[in-house]
Amino acid sequence: MIALRHITKRFRDGERQVEVLRDLELTVPRGTFTAVVGASGSGKSTLLYVAGALDADYDGEAVVAGKDLKALSARERAAFRNASVGFVFQSFNLLPALPAVENTMLPGLFVPPGSKAPSLGQLRGRALEALDRVGLADKAARLPGRLSGGERQRVAIARALLSRPAVLLADEPTGNLDAVSGEAVIQLFSAMVRDGVTVLVVTHEERVSAAAGQVLHLEEGRLR
Amino acid sequence: MRLRSLVHLATLNLRSDARGTVVNTAAACVGAAALVFFVALGMGVGQAARLMFPGDARLVEVVPGAVSLGAALGGGALDDAAVGRLRELPGVEGAWRRLSLRVPIAASRAPEGVRMNWPVGFTVQVPVVGVDAGLVASDLAPGGKFVDPPAGQAIPVLASRRLLEVYNKTIAPAWNLRRLPPGLDLVGLQIPVQVGFSIIPLKTEDKVYDARLALAGLSDRVPLYSLAVPVETVRRLHVEYGKADAGYSSVVLEVGRPDDVPAVASAVRRMGFAVDEGERAIAERVGLAITVTAGALALLALLMTALAALAIAQSLSASVRGRTRDIAILQSLGATAGDVRALVLAEAGLVGLAGGVVGVGIAWAAARGVDAAAIGLLPDFPFRPTTFFLFPPWIFALGVGVSAAAALLGALAPAALAARVDPARAIS
Ligand SMILES: Nc1ncnc2c1ncn2[C@@H]1O[C@H](COP(=O)(O)OP(=O)(O)O)[C@@H](O)[C@H]1O
Ligand SMILES: [Mg+2]
Repeated sequence: MIALRHITKRFRDGERQVEVLRDLELTVPRGTFTAVVGASGSGKSTLLYVAGALDADYDGEAVVAGKDLKALSARERAAFRNASVGFVFQSFNLLPALPAVENTMLPGLFVPPGSKAPSLGQLRGRALEALDRVGLADKAARLPGRLSGGERQRVAIARALLSRPAVLLADEPTGNLDAVSGEAVIQLFSAMVRDGVTVLVVTHEERVSAAAGQVLHLEEGRLR
Repeated sequence: MRLRSLVHLATLNLRSDARGTVVNTAAACVGAAALVFFVALGMGVGQAARLMFPGDARLVEVVPGAVSLGAALGGGALDDAAVGRLRELPGVEGAWRRLSLRVPIAASRAPEGVRMNWPVGFTVQVPVVGVDAGLVASDLAPGGKFVDPPAGQAIPVLASRRLLEVYNKTIAPAWNLRRLPPGLDLVGLQIPVQVGFSIIPLKTEDKVYDARLALAGLSDRVPLYSLAVPVETVRRLHVEYGKADAGYSSVVLEVGRPDDVPAVASAVRRMGFAVDEGERAIAERVGLAITVTAGALALLALLMTALAALAIAQSLSASVRGRTRDIAILQSLGATAGDVRALVLAEAGLVGLAGGVVGVGIAWAAARGVDAAAIGLLPDFPFRPTTFFLFPPWIFALGVGVSAAAALLGALAPAALAARVDPARAIS
């Protein structure tokens, strides 16, 4: 589950301080699908980076997948992202030079020392499985540039699934997709929720929120 | 991040930027090639020079001091008492006498058993020097003896190893004479001579008789244009011909450690004798010149390697700046700052290794090319080496190691730059 308490995030803009999140509270119960809707610039991405331990510079308390993020070192945050979080972005964020299967394998390369690391062969097998689950087994060898937007986003989802994370965080996952591809992505999220994954999607599109169990609105740094 | 994963990802990244990889590998390879080429050249030429000028760093040649001064001090002459005192000097392990023969000896026929087109009526004066057997013991052919023989038997002689080379490479071709076979095949060769005969009529002694010299070996400790016989033989001939022995021509001191040579030399001078720097000084000067030249070239090569490291640093920095988003993506997937740093270093390290291997190969090929060209272009001269390069196994490790180290050094700043990427800023 995701529990954010009294989260305040400020950006320094020259002399001025801009408060993007203001004493924000958020609870996403385990195995549920929550959508946060807000206008562009309202702080949705900022919220997601806090929950995903990409950003550690904020006030308040964040407990995600059983970890108090404030208590983690930079190295532990990386291990946390590797093991417990799957990210999906509007712009897919695939490495353009790597074929789909290599992109999908990436999280397996950063398994921290101490935990059991799969061999490259095992990793490839797991990546192909994940690609199969999103319906792209036959396009595993393709470079991202030779895939459609919807296919790229499904590769990104396969990559997010590789480490079987407890939490999936998606930032405008359908923003660059046509209606049909967007629907497929939402279907995949729903399937993950059924498997017990906690899903938090931030978006400004109503069609995503339709599939969510909880829809919250981000306005003036707070959720309502 | 495990090494296997690191290498996997680094390889993928290098492959995806094939152009940059080739350019950086070329930069790394130029430095490694130059370094290995010049170091191998320096060592090869050094070895050739040591064959040409086999100066022994542990030998000190003592000669009589200036006559007037020596007489005044009661010293000067290198007699047996002086040899005894020289032998007692600290650091000296052996004192070997040399005595030039003052009775002329000449050869007017070819050595026995050698098919040689000896010119008719041609007589060579043979300069002879008597030496202690100890000085040349290690150069004697197996089983050979270097002692004054009973009357009527052949006198053992040692020739300069270099004389054979000089004869074969310059004298024989110039005079259209047959070349002699290599060293050991010549041992036992008997040379008929006339004792007491000189090509200068005035110097011919009243008594002239036939004798034979038998080659007992080749030595670097024999002066280039003379033959060495046992010192006792010289003394016997001097007695036979009524020549007074005022003292030895020189005494060769063998010093235990080369570092002690200067101290021994000054002790010798304090005793009223002089030190003949001759051959050793030449060898040292040649060796120094080669070391300095090779060192300067190697330094130049190191400079090229440093420039290669700078070029790699430059291009890697640009590459890291262009990849901040990719780096942030890796961080979102669990890469630590250390992983990111290691990845950039691994990419550079692989480029350095590849450049080093290619560079060493190029250096080796270039050396073979130079050797082949030299054989075609240079005339045959004494001690002409078959190769001007020396490639001991460690030189390959040196080339690859220096290239990899330079690439890693160049990658330090770009790697730090990469490790500082803030994922929350760079990912969107
Ligand atoms: N690194 C930053 N420095 C300064 N201001 C920032 C930074 N990142 C985001 N912001 C500001 O914070 C606000 C929220 O940004 P963001 O969370 O990206 O909004 P959203 O995702 O809802 O469009 C915006 O006004 C943006 O300009
Ligand atoms: Mg956003």
